[in-house]
Amino acid sequence: MAATIGTETGAVLVNPAARNRAAAGLRSIVLPLGLALFVLVAWQTYVTVANIPSVILPSPISIAKYIVARYDILLIHAIPTTVESAVGFLLALALGVLLAILITYSEVAREALYPNLVFFQLIPKIALAPLFIIWLGIGSTSRIAFSVFIAFFPVVIATTAGFLSVDKGILRLCRSLTATEWQVFTSVRFPSALPHIFSGMKIAITLAIIGVIIGEFITAQAGLGYLIIFATARADTEVSMAAIVVLCICGLLLYGLVAVAEMIANRFYSADSR
Amino acid sequence: MATATARTEAARTTPDGSLVSIRSVGKTYFTGSSAIPAVASASLEVARGEFVSLLGPSGCGKSTLLMMIAGLEKPTSGAIDLLGSPVLAPRRDIGIIFQDATLLPWKSALENVLFPIRILKLPLDRYMQRAHELLAMVGLAGFEHKKPGELSGGMRQRVAICRSLIHDPDILLMDEPFSALDAITRDQMNVALSEILETYKKTVIFVTHSIREAAFLSDRVVVMGGRPSGIILDMPMPFPRPRRFEVEETVEFTQVCRELRLTIEAAHGHAPSTHAAPAGASVIE
Ligand SMILES: Nc1ncnc2c1ncn2[C@@H]1O[C@H](COP(=O)(O)OP(=O)(O)O)[C@@H](O)[C@H]1O
Ligand SMILES: [Mg+2]
Repeated sequence: MAATIGTETGAVLVNPAARNRAAAGLRSIVLPLGLALFVLVAWQTYVTVANIPSVILPSPISIAKYIVARYDILLIHAIPTTVESAVGFLLALALGVLLAILITYSEVAREALYPNLVFFQLIPKIALAPLFIIWLGIGSTSRIAFSVFIAFFPVVIATTAGFLSVDKGILRLCRSLTATEWQVFTSVRFPSALPHIFSGMKIAITLAIIGVIIGEFITAQAGLGYLIIFATARADTEVSMAAIVVLCICGLLLYGLVAVAEMIANRFYSADSR
Repeated sequence: MATATARTEAARTTPDGSLVSIRSVGKTYFTGSSAIPAVASASLEVARGEFVSLLGPSGCGKSTLLMMIAGLEKPTSGAIDLLGSPVLAPRRDIGIIFQDATLLPWKSALENVLFPIRILKLPLDRYMQRAHELLAMVGLAGFEHKKPGELSGGMRQRVAICRSLIHDPDILLMDEPFSALDAITRDQMNVALSEILETYKKTVIFVTHSIREAAFLSDRVVVMGGRPSGIILDMPMPFPRPRRFEVEETVEFTQVCRELRLTIEAAHGHAPSTHAAPAGASVIE
């Protein structure tokens, strides 16, 4: 027995390119950081040398100084924006996955829903934002609802694709083992759809933030979107740029949480070894 | 042909320990407006512990017949009994292996082997030992925690074999399990499979389109053919067990393969001039 399989078990992977890969990894960090730094330095130099007024374009250093000095105000506005985006995202995720389950398991739902969803996607949904204010008022409800509205679509599409892309052979195996639909879902369909679900989530999280910011542009008394509009109206470009920087940080934070969730899920559901 | 029928009759009257009883089973697929007859009528008895191969060219209904035995497809005519009770739906006393290993890519080899135990809600701790034993038996000791992506095609198919055996089914149904493998690995797998079956005695129905593979592994080779198809030859393999590669080098083996080939060719119209010979089953020995 041992002799017959020797050739096969002996095929251990040896990768001579491992060191090259480490170098490539380092480069993939250094290059983008270097470029970003270059742009910031160029920006700072241009503003200083050409003497650009701060209303038109504040320098990176003055924006940074403002953020450090007035982090308390920025934080007060960052919190509602971040919380509403997170809530909108989570609701979009729940709604998206539920619809995907419906589309996967019910042919009627699939035929009724899918074309409409695709059609809906063609509408420039941002144009509908004011309607949400009319329907749901000027509170956070309308902003969250709008955020869900524009964020759930990628989740539905990606999750449905994931649920339907399950290996047919594995499904047949499950059937031969008299697996229940619930067992098939939890042990096969859902895990194999996870990479799809996470790619949908990564798009959804950025859309959820966009939804909240647009809501804040239209009507809000707080939030980074409100601060940007308010400061811009007073020609306070420095504040509005500072708010945008903080918004980027909040966006990165939320995106990072999704990425971390994906890494945790990968520990259990990745085809690669741990 | 007359001899072949006689043999089928003989096989059907084997002692009454028959584990699988297939009686005039037929299957027609209905897709939209068209009806595709896959199996016209097949009758077969398989005794406990027997290794029976279904041999025939692609499209002759081998998989269809096997899926009906597994309860994954419903016959349009006839009936199938397993252990004395009719097969109406998939059932737990069957182990299945497909052409692809169909492993869960995110689970280790060991977890994949234990997959049926989880689905069947059997006590995991009681089967852990068996899972390790099975993996060791197929030469995968030390690979328990590797994921399918880190295993070769042959190793993945070994894991699938362990998985099909873990819940100790009465019967093993294999649908061209080695046809996706290269010829060398395939030969190794054939030897490995006969060794596994020497340890874990099972009744096996094995679908293949390889004449040599069927002859090497089987106690009986059942040739399917015709359009729509049925069973055209049922032939016992006279080689002693345990079988090793050397069997394939005997004159007897070559003659058996030749007869199987002639039968298949005769049924599919590519018969050479000597094609009256297939009935020469009795000429052998
Ligand atoms: N699900 C199906 N729907 C329609 N026709 C099918 C289906 N499965 C198999 N067939 C047809 O039935 C015939 C037998 O197929 P199959 O049992 O797969 O043959 P084999 O396994 O011997 O290659 C073929 O003509 C094939 O096209
Ligand atoms: Mg087939």
